[in-house]
Amino acid sequence: MRRFHPASTVTPASLVFVSLASMGLGSCGFEPTIPTLRFELNQNEIDEYPDTLALDPVAQDQLRGALEMLFGTPSNPGYMLVEEWIDDERNPNYGDMELSEDQFDGIVADNTAYFAESLKAIEEGRFEDVRPRREALDMVDAFNSDLSYRAAIQADILLGEAEQAELDELDAVLTEEWTDALTNWYPSLRDSAELYRQQCLHCHGVSGGGDGPTARFLKPLPRDYRKGQFKFTALAGGTPPRREDLFRVLEEGIYMTAMPSFRRFSDAQLHGLVDYVRLLAIRGETEALLAYDYDENEFLPFEKVKEEYLFVWSKWETAADSLIVFDGDVPASTPERIAHGRDLFVDEASANCVKCHGTSARGDGASAFERNEDGELERVKDDWGNPIFVRDLTQGIYRFGRRPIDIYRRIHAGIYGTPMPSHSSLTDPDGNRILSDDDMWDIVHYVRSLSASDPTAHTGDADPAADGSHGAGQ
Amino acid sequence: MGKFLLRLTTIVLFLLVPVLGTWTFFKAPDWGWWFPQNVSSFGGDIDHLFYVLSVPILITFLGTEFVLVWCILRFSSDKPGKADFVHGNHRLELIWTAIPSVVLVALVFGQMGAWTHIKIDMPRDGEFSPEHPIAEVYASQFDWRFRYPDESGNFRGIDAFESAFDFYVPVDTKVVFQLRSRDVLHSFFVPEFRLKQDAVPGMTIPVWFEATKAGTYDLICAELCGWGHYKMAGRVHVLPRADYDDWVAQQRVALYSNGSDD
Repeated sequence: MRRFHPASTVTPASLVFVSLASMGLGSCGFEPTIPTLRFELNQNEIDEYPDTLALDPVAQDQLRGALEMLFGTPSNPGYMLVEEWIDDERNPNYGDMELSEDQFDGIVADNTAYFAESLKAIEEGRFEDVRPRREALDMVDAFNSDLSYRAAIQADILLGEAEQAELDELDAVLTEEWTDALTNWYPSLRDSAELYRQQCLHCHGVSGGGDGPTARFLKPLPRDYRKGQFKFTALAGGTPPRREDLFRVLEEGIYMTAMPSFRRFSDAQLHGLVDYVRLLAIRGETEALLAYDYDENEFLPFEKVKEEYLFVWSKWETAADSLIVFDGDVPASTPERIAHGRDLFVDEASANCVKCHGTSARGDGASAFERNEDGELERVKDDWGNPIFVRDLTQGIYRFGRRPIDIYRRIHAGIYGTPMPSHSSLTDPDGNRILSDDDMWDIVHYVRSLSASDPTAHTGDADPAADGSHGAGQ
Repeated sequence: MGKFLLRLTTIVLFLLVPVLGTWTFFKAPDWGWWFPQNVSSFGGDIDHLFYVLSVPILITFLGTEFVLVWCILRFSSDKPGKADFVHGNHRLELIWTAIPSVVLVALVFGQMGAWTHIKIDMPRDGEFSPEHPIAEVYASQFDWRFRYPDESGNFRGIDAFESAFDFYVPVDTKVVFQLRSRDVLHSFFVPEFRLKQDAVPGMTIPVWFEATKAGTYDLICAELCGWGHYKMAGRVHVLPRADYDDWVAQQRVALYSNGSDD
């Protein structure tokens, strides 16, 4: 009879090892280490920079250093303050200072709801049950420090070295301070950088280049903030976005892309993220200006750095002035408007939408394509170098909102960063506008009618091609 | 280690499993590790099934664990050499197959009512039905969106509006929606409704529930759908009827905003 000796993995030594290891991991609150993140220069552009910069690592370090002076690091971001801002008391490191009264009141109301359980715990004296946002690093530290101080007093009371009154007095102070901290909470740039690291960095990248580790699986790609260009704003002309535009993107997401709605976070957090995204965008723009202007004989003098810095800021500050608003009521859709809109849509001398969108509005117009160096047809590229899939208007996919005013704004202002032109700026040789506001409304109603189906159709028997859900995620 | 001590340690360790396992199960509600509140009309049926199932499971669990311990006591031997050879015991095997079969068949028939009630008997006579759902719910990577129809009930009409993340429904009403996926498998899971339904790409699946208490409840994705699955969430807002009607009316008006509030 053959003897069978299975090799045993369960030896006394292995048992000891496994139990010690699991006790060690379990008891010491295993926390993954966060790598030190650094802002990097724009690797897509670096080859275009002057050779004296592109080929010289020392010059690049100088540039990085200058940008770090202006904008800080991912773990400690912040704007360098300049004397020009003293008089108007500007300090963009505190985003809440830029909010209107109404906006801030809205945030306080939202915080009160968001932190309802923690506020109740404070009221009931259960300070250990209070849960601030974990990325609000300063607040977490302050609360922990208060808790240990409180615990020390409690210990002293037990030892007879302190009075209960002292604890009650402390609790009264903590109640007021903590309630205030939570209801008026607005994240610092550091808090927002931490939230960005947790929620946004994997697609949008450390420096906001749209090049995070999960970006390559996405179509369309995530936004590269570093040009300071954002496609979907409520603004005329190529200007940086307002805070409200970026806030809206966070709240609503971008339809049929991988950018989801982030409503599960509080309004304060979303505003904080807007502040941080703006910092990344301004940093990117400043880097580009300093890099393209780099002169090896000057070595990035402070005055020049400051000049470019303020120049980028000035663009962002004037953005809100170009809000597109339509005075009065949005005109209702009528068959006449739709018919006229169609005429404008196909007319070469007028809006000429068919040029790119195609005669069946499916996004296959001749101008959606161009010939490359080898003579092959390929899609036109946007300002970020990505191929554009011209919108198939029959699908009902509107990236930035399906309200008539949203579509009106797209026609009025175009899409910044793409060949979609600002139709309000189209002029004839005499300088007159080709399309009036009313004309543009007609086009809006025509476009909306393209994606609508028979009014008697209901879900279940509707044609799947008309509902926008079978597109290739464009 | 002496043989007696070894045997004792093994028995104690094995006994810890049923003892600790059962004790933590009964202590769990006190520690807050139990079900969230139930606010749906059929949630009670699901919870009831859980409790019904717990009984045979508890009996089997304790039974098998104690049998294990008894075997160590009864059959551990100091004698070296050949083990006893047992040919099997047909009667025993018959018993321990027949009893679980009866239990399982009873469960199959016992749970059919709940399954039919939730998954098959769609409300047909009320305000909402599979032909006239309250909304189309779109699951995508990694977002929940809710499309409400225009005033004539047309989901493809130009005045159909979509809400991202927030799903509004009236309280005390049998709500039916059509669940669709834009890309991969997802699952619509509202723990406080005890409602779960996979969203299958290519299928339009009717789902119904009746919320019995106004409030805001978590919606999470319960089918692994990619790297963002863990954070794919939404909120279900159950509103009193009048508030719900107001909300819908507000959305219709907001669709035609002229942008001055943006």
